Parts: sequence; structure tokens; C-alpha cells
Amino acid sequence: MPDLVIRGLDAHYGATPVLSGLDLHVESGATVGLIGPSGSGKSTILRTILGLLPPSRGEIVLDGRRVDYAKPAEVRALRERVAVVFQQYNLFQNMTVLQNVCITPVKIRGRPRREVEDEARRLLAKVGLADKLSSYPDQLSGGQQQRVAIARALALRPEILLLDEVTAALDPELVSEVLDTIRLLAREGMTMMIVSHEMGFIREVSSRVVFMADGRKVEEGPPARIFDAPQEARTQSFVSKILRH
Amino acid sequence: MGYTFQFGQVWPFLPRLFDAALVSLQLALLAFCGGLLLGTAGAAIRTYGGAWARRAVKLYVTAFTNTPQLVQIYFLYFALPDAGLVLSSFTAVLIGMTLNAGAYLTEIQRAGFESARRSELEAAAVLGFSRLQQIRYVVLPHAMRVLLPPLSSHFIIMTLGTSMAAVFGVEELTGEALTLSSQTFRSVEVFLIVAGFYVALTLLASLAISLFARAAFRVRVRPL
Repeated sequence: MPDLVIRGLDAHYGATPVLSGLDLHVESGATVGLIGPSGSGKSTILRTILGLLPPSRGEIVLDGRRVDYAKPAEVRALRERVAVVFQQYNLFQNMTVLQNVCITPVKIRGRPRREVEDEARRLLAKVGLADKLSSYPDQLSGGQQQRVAIARALALRPEILLLDEVTAALDPELVSEVLDTIRLLAREGMTMMIVSHEMGFIREVSSRVVFMADGRKVEEGPPARIFDAPQEARTQSFVSKILRH
Repeated sequence: MGYTFQFGQVWPFLPRLFDAALVSLQLALLAFCGGLLLGTAGAAIRTYGGAWARRAVKLYVTAFTNTPQLVQIYFLYFALPDAGLVLSSFTAVLIGMTLNAGAYLTEIQRAGFESARRSELEAAAVLGFSRLQQIRYVVLPHAMRVLLPPLSSHFIIMTLGTSMAAVFGVEELTGEALTLSSQTFRSVEVFLIVAGFYVALTLLASLAISLFARAAFRVRVRPL
């Protein structure tokens, strides 16, 4: 049962601060929606958790143990439990769909190929791609590629799944197929952090919503409160702009 | 031109030329494979290594790409015995060609390493791939696709370059041809046949390299 706590987190890109004093708690089974204007630090939180951007202050605590991002072994251990899906899918272009899903469990974690392939077929069927096993990424639509990326992340059997604007690069008619997949995961109780601009979806699927601006957490609460009765002026202005169109 | 070709005196020596061609191919293959290993390591160091390691590789590449290969081999051939290491001429040529290939292939492969998409490497890192695993599963397959044409043309240059070994008395194709032409006095015929052997060797060489790339890195060769 994963339990992720972020305390007083600062992060910088070069000299530019991108996160300031962030506190966040992701308890097991929660679906935390991260919203806010572009550049507010939503994606940066995910990158920092994964160790792609080391924190400059504060701490990230997984199951009561502080993660030391200076130690590669600790970062790897964390990445075995926390998986991510990127906006641009980032599939391996030289591998088929099935190979993309299987390579990490088989080659990096040393699980038996047969067992992993069976599981990969099940996962790909679950995301609606049972007939695309031997296709290459460049033969698939964006929505299909994104669902492969989700299956690839699930094949790691993660305890926490981070979704970084997974629909932002998709054509509007492809968005729903990806969102359906995520809804399914939320129903199954997967612990997730979701960065998205799909406000209707965030509202529906999140157990808690965090509104970010300028690298800070402005407001946090149940979706109904954040969207219908925000307390902070910054949140009110953001939400009213979204609801206007 | 009033020359009358007389192949009759040369045909009986074909098996000898064939054996010599195998020596040429062996030399080219060994030197290329050794050079490929050196070049892959060199490119990895140039792309991901520390400052001093990068500088050392750069010095090696500069030294070997800015001096004639013949001079490099002469140097090994004459300098190493003074250091107490006596090499057969085949070994001296092989080492010289390998070191030379390693330098060129470092430069060629560096371009391929840099062509790997940052986003895919990031995905691999997040999936828990070590740096070596990233190179094996992500960088090299990409690099191979980009590098197949320059690599195979370098292999062909090396195959033809094995004729240099004749200077050191290695019984490869050109060396054997020199011997034969002085035995039969049919130099034109001999060198015409030898030219044919070289064409066959280079065709074989480029076929071998594309089969290797497909088997080792699943490089897809798709019709455009």
C-alpha cells in the first residue's frame, strides 16, 4: 500500500525556481488531480518525484522512508514502484507494441518472458489494442500509442501511476479512448496523480484536486469544492475562465 | 590496343587467389569488428563520459584520423619489436587497421548516438534502464538505422584497404597477385581477375553488414 508524502519541496531549472514549498499527500487508492495554468509546476512535481529533476530542498517520503535522490539505487527502487505516462508517449520506435510492453519486465527486471507476454496481452486487450501486438509505434494513431504507453506502465505493476498531460497531444476524437482507460484504472483503485487540462475529466475521476500556480499549491480539496466553491481568488479566476467556454 | 589477353596461364592459380581473398576478408572482418567495439566505446565515452575520458578519446581520434594508415602500421611494425613485442606481419596490420577503424568509427557513431531521441532515453531511464541498458536497447538500434550506410561504406573502404598488407608481405589478395604476376608475367590478366575478386568481396561485405544489423539490432529495412 503506497503512501507518498511531499514536504516543503523546492525545485529549480537552473536558477529559475519551478516549485516552492510544496506539501502534498498521496494516500493509497487516491486519485489526485493536478490543475493550473501552464508553467505552474504541475508536470514538474511528477518529474521531481521520479528523480528527473532533483529537489533542491524539502523531501519526498515513500512509505515513511525519505528518498535520497543522490543515490542511484534509491532512485531505481522508487522507479520500480512508481510508473509514469508522458504527454508524448515516448514509445521505443524500433520495437513492436508487444516488445515495448515486455522489454522492461523481461530485460531489466528479469521476469520470465512467457509470463510477462501473457500479462502484456491481457493489458493490451484491456486498453483495446489486442489486435495491434505486432504493429510498430509509427503505424498507430496518437490515441493508440498513448494506450500502449499506459499498458507499458501497467506492465511494471506500479503501486503509483503518474499521468502527465496524457491527452494533451491527441486529436479531440482520440481523447475519450484514453480517458476511458484511465477511468477503468481509477475504478480498480489504482493510486494515481493526474496532470491534465481536461477539467470535466479531472472533476469526475479525482478523489482530490490540487490547484497550482507559479510553483505553489494554491488550493486543495474535493473536486466539487475546487470547481464550484473555490476559496482562493487565484483559483476562482482560473475556474471561472474555464467555465466561460 | 594490340594486347592479346591470355588467361590460360592464370586459371590454374585461381584457388590460390581464392585463398588469398579469404585472408583479405578475414583481415577486413576482424579489423572492422574490433574497430566497431572500439568505436562504440569511444562514441559512448564521447557522448556520456567524464571530461578527461572525453579528452583522451578525442586525442586518439585526432591522432589516427590525421596520419596515413600506412605510417601507423609501419610504426607498429617497427616500433613494437623495439619494445620487446614481435608481431607477425598479419597481426601488425590487423592491429593497425583496428586502431585506425576505431578512430573513424568513433566519429561516425557519435553522430548516431546523438540522434537517439532524448524523450525515449528519458522513458528508458524512468523505466529503470541503466546507462548501459539504455545504450544497448535504445541508442544502438537508433544509431544503427542512421549509421548503416556510413558503416557499410567504411567497411568497404577497409576491405579494399587490406591491400596495404601486401607491403608487409601478408599473402592476401594483392600480395598474392604481385607474386603471381611476377611468376606468370601476365600482370594485366592477374590484376583484372583480382579486381573481380575485390568487387565480389565488397558486395559480400555490404550484404554481411546489413544482415548483421538486422539480426543484432532488429533494424527494420522497410520499403519507402
